[in-house]
Amino acid sequence: MDDQGCPRCKTTKYRNPSLKLMVNVCGHTLCENCVEMLFARGSGNCVQCDTPLRKSNFRVQLFEDPTVDKEVEIRKKVLKIYNKRHFDFPSLREYNDYLEKLEDIVYNLTNNIDVENTKLQMEQYQKEHRDLIQRNKVKLTREQEEVEELLLLEQQGNEQRRLELLQDEQRQLQAKRKNKQALLDELEKSQLPATILLAQHKVRAANLETQIEKQKQAVKPTSLFSTGINMRQTVSLQPPPKIEEVLYHYKALQVETYGPPVPELEQLGRFGYLNHVRAAMPQDTAGGYTSALACHRAIQDAFSGLFPLKR
Amino acid sequence: MFHKSSQGKYWIFASEDDVEQKRCKANQNFRNKMLEGGKPGVSESKLLERHEEEVLIRHYEKRMVDFCNAFKPVMPKSVVGTAIMYFRRFYLNNSIMEYHPRIIMLTCAYLSCKVDEFNVSSTQFVGNLLQETPAGQERVLEQILEFELLLIQQLNFHLVVHNPYRPMEGLLIDLKTRYPTLENPESLRKSADDFLTQAAMTDAGLLFPPSQIALTAILNSASRAGLSMESYLNECLRLKDDKETLSKMYDSMRRMKTLLKKYELPKPEEVNASKKKLERIHAEFSSSSNKRKRGYEEDGHVAKEPRLTEDEEWTDEDLI
Repeated sequence: MDDQGCPRCKTTKYRNPSLKLMVNVCGHTLCENCVEMLFARGSGNCVQCDTPLRKSNFRVQLFEDPTVDKEVEIRKKVLKIYNKRHFDFPSLREYNDYLEKLEDIVYNLTNNIDVENTKLQMEQYQKEHRDLIQRNKVKLTREQEEVEELLLLEQQGNEQRRLELLQDEQRQLQAKRKNKQALLDELEKSQLPATILLAQHKVRAANLETQIEKQKQAVKPTSLFSTGINMRQTVSLQPPPKIEEVLYHYKALQVETYGPPVPELEQLGRFGYLNHVRAAMPQDTAGGYTSALACHRAIQDAFSGLFPLKR
Repeated sequence: MFHKSSQGKYWIFASEDDVEQKRCKANQNFRNKMLEGGKPGVSESKLLERHEEEVLIRHYEKRMVDFCNAFKPVMPKSVVGTAIMYFRRFYLNNSIMEYHPRIIMLTCAYLSCKVDEFNVSSTQFVGNLLQETPAGQERVLEQILEFELLLIQQLNFHLVVHNPYRPMEGLLIDLKTRYPTLENPESLRKSADDFLTQAAMTDAGLLFPPSQIALTAILNSASRAGLSMESYLNECLRLKDDKETLSKMYDSMRRMKTLLKKYELPKPEEVNASKKKLERIHAEFSSSSNKRKRGYEEDGHVAKEPRLTEDEEWTDEDLI
């Protein structure tokens, strides 16, 4: 196991399973105890890189590599400023360029390359696009809210359905119990023979069952798919337009060897070529080797490019 | 196969001049870079001329071949061929003043072992540097690994090299099968092998397809033995009616033979003179111009002038 540990007190996960590693904006790790100790006054410098840090900025390290944590943090920050979206651009190309630039910034900040300039660039961008950023922010929060609202609605619906189901079951149980009670009462009071009463009871019970079944089947039809698409929406069932193309015709491969023709592998034996090469040993043939292969290759090599190229 | 390979597409050049031009350009580029770099003490006369570069390239190439031939376990020929090809391709676009051939040649050999599936471990590989102490071998290994990626990049990631050895086997099989006129094709093998070994040391691999080189080797060997194989070309390779192709092929064969004839090992005096210059260039100029070079200075392989002799020892005896 790769021992993850606090660089200051050298405690590792192995020795202290409850060890909590924290990471701050500079991307260096400290364990929780060390953080408590060093940052008792709320702020201080990183042990490894001397960056001034606040205690409140320490986060639990989620990834094994603390730089990933750092990058996530930085990306969150940068995305707050660079929050343009696809439809803010006239073409996909420009949007991609923009994304590329964004990645550059994140990369630079994470790896401490040219930090000053990058920060300056970010600030300038922020100044220039203040309106747009604000607008997008509002838009984003609104969309976020809408999604949350939808989620809430769904949750409520689920809860209600569950309650209804529960009530249904209860009612059915009650009905059955009542039925049984009625039978007992009748057996007690009625003058009719018990067999008839039992038969009557059976019929009633069967009726009740069918009623319950019916109720179960008559579930309210939903009008929405789980994806939110209206069920009654008409979907075009026509097949997509066919694209007519010229069919592919196979043409045998023509290889120009710039040399005299080479006999086929199968013909080598017939032409007597194989009398002039060392026969393959039995142990060689196990792997699929035959002396014809080597012979063929030698002859191919001998004839390939033998004639001067026609330039 | 060769006809679809990167070798056929990118590493076969039309003429000897094209190849030479590329090398001149590499040399010129490095000169310009140095002169523009404005380092103190850089002057035209201190830099290597193109012909001096050629001397050193040949010298180091020979050293690489010697190293490969002395290698234990025995290195297959195709691995050596691939290593040479890497070396030549690398210095087609680079100057030896920028990358020292001593380490590049080892890197080429090392890489070709890997690519050609000749399985030696890296420690085993540097273990063949017999003159080095284990610590020195370790250092060399570090350098090799450092330059390996550069080499691969400079080869444009075209790592498969088609050597003429298998085509030659194929041609011999074909001769035995379809050309009974020739009584004992095996007798051609010895001299054809020699031809291929020589051809590997020339630019033939950058100018001709491996199959042509192999065919030339066999025809050359036959003509030495006083045999004519014209009918093989005419009948078996069906060139009787294609006079144009035939003449072109004879032409390439002639060019190949001239290349081989022209090849000679550089004289030791020339090598020493150029080497001194090269060591000075590496010690003085390029060490700081290129980060890769740092290893050299620390290692003390490229010694300052008083230590030049010691350095010579490393370079000249370690490999064999």
